[in-house]
Amino acid sequence: MTMATGRSSSGSQLQRGPGTGNLYDILELILDKGLVIDAFVRVSLVGIELLTVDARIVVASVDTYLRFAQACNRLDLTRASSATTLPDLLGEVTEKGAKGKSKGALTGAVETFAEQFQKSSDKDGEEAEERPRGRSRRSSARSSE
Amino acid sequence: MSTYLYGITFADHPAEVGDLRGIGPSPAPARVLPAGDELSAVVGDVEGELRAKRRDLLAHQEILRALCDSGPTLPMRFGIVADDDTAVAHEIAAKAEVYTAVLRRVSGHVEMNVKVSHREEAVLGQILAGDEEIRNLAAGLREDAGRGEAEQVRFGELVAGRLEEREAEDADAVLGYLLPLASEHSPGPRVDGCFFNCSFLVPKEKTAEFQDAVQRLRALVEEVAEVRVQGPLPPYSFTEDQ
Repeated sequence: MTMATGRSSSGSQLQRGPGTGNLYDILELILDKGLVIDAFVRVSLVGIELLTVDARIVVASVDTYLRFAQACNRLDLTRASSATTLPDLLGEVTEKGAKGKSKGALTGAVETFAEQFQKSSDKDGEEAEERPRGRSRRSSARSSE
Repeated sequence: MSTYLYGITFADHPAEVGDLRGIGPSPAPARVLPAGDELSAVVGDVEGELRAKRRDLLAHQEILRALCDSGPTLPMRFGIVADDDTAVAHEIAAKAEVYTAVLRRVSGHVEMNVKVSHREEAVLGQILAGDEEIRNLAAGLREDAGRGEAEQVRFGELVAGRLEEREAEDADAVLGYLLPLASEHSPGPRVDGCFFNCSFLVPKEKTAEFQDAVQRLRALVEEVAEVRVQGPLPPYSFTEDQ
């Protein structure tokens, strides 16, 4: 299990041109995907390969567990963050999945997101803009950052 | 001198890549090498030992991007080197049927790569909020800070397990959201803390639609996850013979 560690890349980078904008994000494609012809050799990737190996370290270790424990410890338990799970946010609540999950007061938030999702699907065809609409859609403050 | 391979195209591909920087310390321009009647290889000369550098990765990517803009192209994995042109032409011509089939398959498509990572604090908060057992354990540990590390580790392991379940559920949700816009998909390795890393083969004319969908996805899940998209890319993940 790996952790989402503090990464410098942010949403804004996504808008750059393809390819050159964020080489790091496509490194594993260039290095590990693509066509291979068995008869030919591959150049040494010393240095570069390390980059991706580092990124792929799967940490299921005592250190990770301790880090999780400490992270949970830092959380404000009384300030239950919205329990809208990602499937909820993506509209699976239409099958009233949320109701079975005893989210109590948080169900309202779930429905808000579900409705929002419905609305945004309804006008799929009209959305010509390719830029993100900033952060205005954020409907509740996050505890992080 | 050896021959570096960038990609394989149909013989009638316009392949205007001569102006782009090739790879290697003293880069030679990319050139087109006929390989049988139907196919061409886009190659470059490399001298001596090639040590991959960032600019080489970029050169590889940029040449392939230019090729893909003007016709179906099978991107080679970075760093494939043959003894000489003859060897390249021979190998490719020998498997012409396979390469032709794959070229047809990716024709008119681009690769879009989507990576999603959880915002750790938000997701841990959700796990605590949604799971009484974990919440009680967390509260217990907090009240009694003197408890041993072993207990912290056990708790952390439990949380890690829940997080893993959450990752699987969320990955399914993301995949389900984007899949309708793609012809094929190809899951990638877990990189950089991303619980979701998947490439999609998207019809060129649907690229904007796909990007819009990713933007909506990003807005919808922003609270709990970070979504990154790269593309249009050469179809690196879709070069396998099927």
